[in-house]
Amino acid sequence: MRRLEHQGKSVFAEAGIPVPPSRLVEVGGPAAAADVDAIAGHVQQAAAELVAAHGADAPVVVKAQVMMGGRGKAGLIKVAQGPNAAEIAGAAAAAARTVVASAAGVGVDLPALLVERGVEIHQELYLSVTADAAAGRFVILACAEGGVEIEELAAQRPEAIHRVSVDPFRGLQPYQARALGFAMGLPKAQAMAFAAIVQKLYQVFRQHDAELAEINPLFVTADGELVAGDAKLMIDDNSLDRQPGYQLQRDQFESDAAFEAAREGIPYVQFDGEISLMCAGAGLTTTVFDLVNLEGGSVANYLEFGGPNYRKAGRAMELCLKNRSSVILVVTFGTIARADVMAQGVVDAIRELKPDRPIVTCIRGTNEEEAERILRDAGLEPLFDTEEAVRRAIALSGGAHGGASTTGPAATSSGASAREARS
Amino acid sequence: MSIFINKETRIVVQGVTGQEGSFWTKHMLDMGATVVAGVTPGKEGQDVHGVPVFHTVAGAVETHAADAAMLFVPPRFTKDAIYEALDAGIRKIVTIADGIPLHDQIQIRAAAQSVGARVVGGNTSGVISPGQSMLGIFPYWIERVYKPGRIGVMTRSGSLTNEVTAMVVREGFGVSTLIGVGGDPVPGSRFAEFLEEYQADDDTDAVVIVGELGGTMEEEVAQAIADGRFTKPLVAFLAGRTAPKGKRMGHAGAIVTGGTGTVEAKIAALEGAGAVVAERPSHVGRLLAERITGGKR
Repeated sequence: MRRLEHQGKSVFAEAGIPVPPSRLVEVGGPAAAADVDAIAGHVQQAAAELVAAHGADAPVVVKAQVMMGGRGKAGLIKVAQGPNAAEIAGAAAAAARTVVASAAGVGVDLPALLVERGVEIHQELYLSVTADAAAGRFVILACAEGGVEIEELAAQRPEAIHRVSVDPFRGLQPYQARALGFAMGLPKAQAMAFAAIVQKLYQVFRQHDAELAEINPLFVTADGELVAGDAKLMIDDNSLDRQPGYQLQRDQFESDAAFEAAREGIPYVQFDGEISLMCAGAGLTTTVFDLVNLEGGSVANYLEFGGPNYRKAGRAMELCLKNRSSVILVVTFGTIARADVMAQGVVDAIRELKPDRPIVTCIRGTNEEEAERILRDAGLEPLFDTEEAVRRAIALSGGAHGGASTTGPAATSSGASAREARS
Repeated sequence: MSIFINKETRIVVQGVTGQEGSFWTKHMLDMGATVVAGVTPGKEGQDVHGVPVFHTVAGAVETHAADAAMLFVPPRFTKDAIYEALDAGIRKIVTIADGIPLHDQIQIRAAAQSVGARVVGGNTSGVISPGQSMLGIFPYWIERVYKPGRIGVMTRSGSLTNEVTAMVVREGFGVSTLIGVGGDPVPGSRFAEFLEEYQADDDTDAVVIVGELGGTMEEEVAQAIADGRFTKPLVAFLAGRTAPKGKRMGHAGAIVTGGTGTVEAKIAALEGAGAVVAERPSHVGRLLAERITGGKR
């Protein structure tokens, strides 16, 4: 679960990591539907408060709180400058209008705007804590060049990135944090301040069951202070049982279907093509996704109803029907997820939901003979070869159209083929 | 023969009295596995399909010399259950739990490494040497998938394994040992860690790996081949060659972040080392046949 910048910064600040003073202006919903005048007014007021509290000697930054990266380039972060308090606040209102317009242009939901006091930047650093899968340890990455795409830097100049491997039982040792501070080439006081932030970020990472805790950039100000310029905090979904502070919320997802699927524990990924995948098993579903693309079709959604969800065919089909797909493709090869139960689930779901589009089934595994009988009795044609099922679905969706993976024309009317497939 | 487990492997089932534990203990016995004991705290003295139940793993080991543990324990208790097995001296552990917290996964792998133990999983169907032993939940009764033979299989995925292995069997081959390392970001064991055993096993002629996007396990296999640590034929199928960056495709570990984890990079590494990568599951059997000549299947 990825947290928004302001949520991450609250957690960092609680742990004692310096963050700039800020005010949050709630927006909510799609950026295109936002009340721009009201938002600009709130931002102006927030900026005035910040300036009143901290002085007019620094600009104010207006930052869209969205899940996407590359916000600067997308026009989702704007700086408001001015010679005095009134002009800074006025510029902040104008910046807010620009940022909301940019967000509307990108087409994202905009939960909030963060209005933050700007800092005079002397240097930008990078710092993160994550898991090192191969080593079975935690790892801290730091770099004296912040603000960059760290993976690109890792590929091009790996020597620029300093790594500290942390024993998961001993935890991070103070000497390791200090060594990183000195490796940054910072003067002594700043190196020690950096080391303190490393320790606090590691605590946040461990206490919040994070997949990633990242500060990029970590500013060194003209006064020599260290301040977190951004916050990226991703919480491990598997830990939510023991992290009661975190709950799934609609604004973390890109569609209603994706949010509802997550609440049900059904793995789901939103695309916008023609074929809704309703498959079992992550690897098999991903393989079907590949085959659809390789054969020139396009995927509307990735959905798994295998494993613990194999009795949820009805719910899975409902989620697929929320998309404008033209076919639902069911492919399974299950063990615990018995073929007969899944087939019966699909048949029951069709009876209840009366889908307006054809269903292609390729259901195999435990009790597959019984599954075949159930499907035939219901008037469906059971297929047993995955590639054949994929080609059938593509044909029913209007045929291959050049291998587009995520785009496609709006769903075609498929009532006729639906009757054909079900009669 | 086989690797990791065989007829002589003496299995203790943790969580044996639960619905899943009981159901699969019966299947492990039916397949011929040697299940010597079960563990459910508070239920010592009972039996499950004739398997005696103990309060603790230590008790099961002491009385019945168990040397491998199969866990049917929920994700949030898995770390404790694995520590219990390790502390009782068990060095082969399989967990099917789907949803082990990431930080627990790290500690489980580190704890196993520190005593030289192997933990397989979570988020897997387990390990099977068809006809000999099973620590897991495989539909061994589906003959077109779980036929004994001379091909080693390693996989990150359950249903996809059935799909791919069916193609291996369709070509006339069978399986020596199938190891599901699982779909978690930090699995207890990694592909490359089993290659040495497959290399040494006289009854394994080739290995099939069923990988996917995310992580670096396939690259580690390529490195082992490049280093000459594994010299038998190896055919890979990798899911996610058309997956977009940044989207998590089902498994927690199946995600491309930044530049790492793309199937493209994995294919380049494997092919560069001399392995063959199948574009589709249906190609796997044929590619295997092309690289194995004259051998038994």
